[in-house]
Amino acid sequence: MTPEARFHAYIRAFNASDWEALRGYYAADVRLVIGNGTELNGRDAILDFYSQVKRQTRRSIEIVQCFADGRTLAAEIESEFLATENAPDFAVRPMAKGDRYYLNSFVFYDFDGDHYTRIRAATFRREFRPAAAG
Amino acid sequence: MSAGAAGLRAWFEAYLAAFNRADFPTFGAYYADDILFHGQAAQLVGREAVLAFYHKVRTFLHERIELISFVGAPDGSRIAAELHTTLLALRDWPDMPTGPMRTGDTRMRVSFAMYEIADNRFTRIRTARFSPPGGDAA
Repeated sequence: MTPEARFHAYIRAFNASDWEALRGYYAADVRLVIGNGTELNGRDAILDFYSQVKRQTRRSIEIVQCFADGRTLAAEIESEFLATENAPDFAVRPMAKGDRYYLNSFVFYDFDGDHYTRIRAATFRREFRPAAAG
Repeated sequence: MSAGAAGLRAWFEAYLAAFNRADFPTFGAYYADDILFHGQAAQLVGREAVLAFYHKVRTFLHERIELISFVGAPDGSRIAAELHTTLLALRDWPDMPTGPMRTGDTRMRVSFAMYEIADNRFTRIRTARFSPPGGDAA
């Protein structure tokens, strides 16, 4: 499987909240750094973080583009979070039920074989779409 | 542009080297006439607008960019780069778009940049800040 095909499968697993499948994509000591200052170390920390996010919101990711070179894959992704409950402590900003938050991000995934070892994400565009705005 | 990722990287590194030595004719040749530039300090359309912006920047700042990570698309159509930028204020710039700087201030940041390429020129450049605020040093 090419790194690009593997990434598409990874995002499908993410969108399906298939935690067991996702676990298989991460190295045990994977490191995730997001430009907002969030840093997570280890597969379990990342899965805990994402499962918490998904408890409060429905997040879907679309791949705009991805390409690999050596042992790094670069991706541009679009994410939308739909708050399924009031989430005053949501990772990005407080969200009320029905609010949406859109992110357009650039992400680097370093990999070793089948496992992502380091993930770094920066946000290019962000947009808060309150429920009241329809 | 040379074929293959190694050639693409060398082509890109030559761009950064020209940028760092303020060689406007050389790095300007990398921009398509109608380039779309979405930087953190400016949103611009066209090579002349981008070069005019950098001419202005250079009257206030010394800017140096170092390549940290490079990912080139196999077909040569795109580059993703992790860049470390160091700014040194040569004089006060109270209206600098990303925040005022005073003479002697330095500012460092890490950004992720996406470049789209056609006919050996960048047609679109977009940058996203990776390093959180706080990378400044006086």
